[in-house]
Amino acid sequence: MNARITLRVDGRDRPVALDTRTTLLDALRDRLSVTSPKKGCDHGQCGACTVLLDGRRVVSCLILAVACDGSEVVTAQGLVEEGEPHPVQRAFLEEDGFQCGFCTPGQICSAVGMLQEVKAGHPSQVTDDLTGPVTLDDEEIRERLSGNLCRCGAYVNIVAALREETAPSEETSPRAETSPSEEAES
Amino acid sequence: MTVRRGAVGAPAPRVEGLAKVTGSAAYAYDRPVADPVYACPVQATIARGRVVAIDGGAAAGVEGVLAVVTHREAARLADTADAELAVLQSDAVAFRGQFVGVVLAETPEAARQAAGLVRVEYDEEPHDTELRADRAGLYTPEQVNGGFAPDTDEGDVDAAMEAAAVTVDRIYTTPMLFNNPMEPHTSVAVWGDGGDEGGGGPGEARLTLYDSTQGAHVVRSTLARVFGLPPERVRVISPYVGGGFGSKGMPHAHNVLAGLAAMAVPGRPVKLALTRQQMFSLAGHRTPTIQRVRLGAGADGRLTAVAHEVVEHTSALKEFAEQTAVGARMMYAAPNRRTAHRLAALDVPVPSWMRAPGEAPGFFGLEVAMDELAQACGLDPVELRARNEPEVDPESGRPWSGRHLVRCLREGAARFGWEERAAVPGTRRAGRELVGLGVAASTYPYYRFPGSRAVVGYDGSGRYTVRIGAADIGTGAWTVLTQIAADALECPLGAVRVEIGDSELPPATVAGGSSGTASWGSAIVAACHAFRGAYGTEPPPGAEAGADMPRDPDAERFAMHSFGAQFAEVRVDADTGEIRVPRMLGVFSAGRIVNPRTARSQFIGGMTMGLSMALHERGVLDHRTGHVVNHDFAEYHIATHADVVDVDAVWLEEEDAHAGPLGARGIGEIGIVGAPAAIANAVHNATGVRVRDLPITPDLLLR
Amino acid sequence: MEFLRPATWAEALAAKADLPEAAPIQGGTDMMVELNFDVHRPAALLDLNRVAELTRWTAEADGRLRIGAGVPYARLIAELGDRLPGLAQAARTVGSPQIRNRGTVGGNLGAASPAGDSHPALLAGDAVIEVESAARGVRMIPADEFYLGVKRNTLLPDELIRAFWMSPASGPQYFSKVGTRNAMVIAVCSFAIALHPGERRVGAAIGSAAPTPRRARAAEEFLAAELDWDAPLEPAVLRRFGELATEAASPIDDVRGTAGYRRHAIGVMARRTLTWAWNDLRAGRTERRAG
Repeated sequence: MNARITLRVDGRDRPVALDTRTTLLDALRDRLSVTSPKKGCDHGQCGACTVLLDGRRVVSCLILAVACDGSEVVTAQGLVEEGEPHPVQRAFLEEDGFQCGFCTPGQICSAVGMLQEVKAGHPSQVTDDLTGPVTLDDEEIRERLSGNLCRCGAYVNIVAALREETAPSEETSPRAETSPSEEAES
Repeated sequence: MTVRRGAVGAPAPRVEGLAKVTGSAAYAYDRPVADPVYACPVQATIARGRVVAIDGGAAAGVEGVLAVVTHREAARLADTADAELAVLQSDAVAFRGQFVGVVLAETPEAARQAAGLVRVEYDEEPHDTELRADRAGLYTPEQVNGGFAPDTDEGDVDAAMEAAAVTVDRIYTTPMLFNNPMEPHTSVAVWGDGGDEGGGGPGEARLTLYDSTQGAHVVRSTLARVFGLPPERVRVISPYVGGGFGSKGMPHAHNVLAGLAAMAVPGRPVKLALTRQQMFSLAGHRTPTIQRVRLGAGADGRLTAVAHEVVEHTSALKEFAEQTAVGARMMYAAPNRRTAHRLAALDVPVPSWMRAPGEAPGFFGLEVAMDELAQACGLDPVELRARNEPEVDPESGRPWSGRHLVRCLREGAARFGWEERAAVPGTRRAGRELVGLGVAASTYPYYRFPGSRAVVGYDGSGRYTVRIGAADIGTGAWTVLTQIAADALECPLGAVRVEIGDSELPPATVAGGSSGTASWGSAIVAACHAFRGAYGTEPPPGAEAGADMPRDPDAERFAMHSFGAQFAEVRVDADTGEIRVPRMLGVFSAGRIVNPRTARSQFIGGMTMGLSMALHERGVLDHRTGHVVNHDFAEYHIATHADVVDVDAVWLEEEDAHAGPLGARGIGEIGIVGAPAAIANAVHNATGVRVRDLPITPDLLLR
Repeated sequence: MEFLRPATWAEALAAKADLPEAAPIQGGTDMMVELNFDVHRPAALLDLNRVAELTRWTAEADGRLRIGAGVPYARLIAELGDRLPGLAQAARTVGSPQIRNRGTVGGNLGAASPAGDSHPALLAGDAVIEVESAARGVRMIPADEFYLGVKRNTLLPDELIRAFWMSPASGPQYFSKVGTRNAMVIAVCSFAIALHPGERRVGAAIGSAAPTPRRARAAEEFLAAELDWDAPLEPAVLRRFGELATEAASPIDDVRGTAGYRRHAIGVMARRTLTWAWNDLRAGRTERRAG
């Protein structure tokens, strides 16, 4: 235990003493019992540990906790406000955007971070125009969420969840269970 | 006896959904435990030989290290009949990556550092890890997974091939594959003497395991045997499981290692989570397969001969024989049929179940061969399959409980726009891409395993509790069992709470073989009926009744299988050979669908894994070292969001009158079966290149 | 393991001089993988996150851009995509979006993997790497002298990468990458091209197809000599350019692909990117199209 830091996690200041080798992910899970970020690979290759660090989505397994002293960390648990799930969490429920649920908190943090990036106009690999505003069609959603693996294969439902979430707020009804998941015509 | 329709058939949202999306669902490692100890395994760096010396001195000197446990220190196990589970019992090394020790420390960082400091010297022996069809030492197992005979032979395949107007005789291969559930295999083990997790008298050693498993009871009974305890002194708790796909269907070495390690720190919970890398040697895998498929047919495409002969590997340590050719026994009508399985026992990690063992690799060979036969006969592949539809099960002679393969094929062809498929391969182009469509059939048997029991209780205020030690590994079982109980009790969905994932609950069979809904569900139906029979509709508070899963006489009288038709569109870059799959559609016949929402997810999840198998997945074993070199997610690719565009599944509205009280045949595995063949067949249609070896990579498509 | 957190660049250089074995870490996306993999266990880590100037970029008086080694890919894409389109395209294929929020060109240079996505764009765009030591001050190293071998660069033990310099694009630039899945993929091979119409010169470089990222010099020289900048692209010129680009490669067979496939794909990407760039030039376009 050779460092003392304070992380602000899901709205609470959490002082913690830890080994400098401790990753942000292990600090959250093993020291602070914040277990919504998951360890799927510990190498930044699966996205299950995604959290929002000072507002940006990052893989917490590739960041040393000591480098985050004073930072703000938001996990999937912290997206719940006054008992109400975040709209992205509700959309995942609505579209069955998960099965085993293990990658889900990471997918959701990643999606929330992604929506902010889109709002800020950040282009992705599939954005043709590097300077204009971004239209979040299905191809963009897929590309922008591709840092989060899902072995259960919930991808098409996750895209549907985010399509719903980002659609103009007209009335949306749950899709009939057997209809094909059509490409958005945007 | 069927259950009333109401909750069953409705797209109920997952009962545990909120816990999962908000991150409060506690998986094995997440369970809060007091004063934990962290375990880091030490793995063999040779593929075969003996450990001659271990120096744990430097490791023991690391601050915070509590113990270094090797085969010298580890307790002797009571039962070592299962060699995979005979962990740290000798100096022998049977495969690279096998456990040779474990370090326990106060922090994960110290444990990992110390594990890296354990010096192990080996007496290395030559190893053998290479599977080839022409190698020496191939043998016939007594049976293959599922209890099937290894070989069958009916009629005279050779003569029929000789006489056939059209033949296909090809070799198909599938690589070593890894289940890779997102949650790595985890066991948190604590030895106590009648602690808070369950009764037992003081002084009686008890083992509690927070585990990630597809079957709490099978882990309990196995570990009780291995550690020489009565089963009631082992408790396995695992309500949330981050995927398994078969790899968590039976206990593996890490479960035993956690138990052994925890003996060094009695009373303290030992947390052992395999790393993603360790999973490649310790969590099971699918054997590579080399499949010779021979089809003989008349000019009209009617099959006269089907032969499916398979060479695959197992571990020299423990036999697991994938039933790759079993599906070919019942799939098509042909008077002359032969199947065979030959194994090479190699110095490799222990293979095990992976989603649709047998059918998943076997239907790559068989269904690509059928596409080749269609091409050779000048027939549409859908029509070829329709012409070879057997009246009864060719293997057993029993009538089908419901075989609707042709309906699936026709329905899928209509929905998918099959008529757009180019009759001549390599002739449809869009910009710089070649476009092709492909089809393949799929099937999976109906399994219902005996051994489950459910107990229904009433709390007096309108709430029923249904208790069964089942597992929801993402299948939707939790929700589906709640629906089944609600209908069987004739009460609202919200009045039922189902408890699963704990060996203290009444016993349940493993979440495997797509059997959960049928097995556990029929036990629940029986328990609910027993409850209502005993107490009627106004039960007293504390009323309780249970029942075992009833026998299933129809299973002896009918051939019971689910069927499906898989369609795929591929686009291949004409210059680089890069492959995209813009569309996949599966049409399934699986009996009654209990929950369309979770069922669709299961089907498309299986198809997505099939896409991944078709294009991405390949474990590369370095035969010089016996090491799986691409043992992480950077190099062992599974499909990402960007690879999966439009995957959809539909099903025939039906009920299998012979498939127990629910009429449901199981859906967890059929989605992967045939999907890789559909993609391979579409690649052929797009490019004219016939790929017979998975995965299909760009370099194979350049001429 | 010691963990050093200098607050200024001078402190960082001093720390590196005192403890040359200290491994610098910024976003962590290269170094942490090594750490978590137990491949590399340095005696000390030198965390550069507090050195604010590393995360800045500036337009210098000579017209070039000087980009701090700690500017993450995501900012490079968002803030410099218009001026460094080739590098921005490459940056958009690095790892995952989460990695791009942390990972830096500095880290890519430090790791010097032949498969690092930014290298071909740096080479084609004539980047110069600014490195510094407390003892000897600044060295300016052209990118094509920076890479020495597989995961080896010319950095000395007491040096740190401070920034890289590039001129804003004077013509169309493209980056192309072949991978065996559509995202989060290490390149099977990659190719970058940068047209410099003012100088009547083309920069071209390959990635993941040799022990180091490297310029396709013969291909560049061929275009400098043979390309008619005022006419449509000659098919023979295009073909020869592809051949020469292929000849720059000395690939191996590995898990990701065969040497033969890599050679083939380099040729395809060279022809494709030159065609796109040429079409843009002829049309007077500077924006990119999907690569």
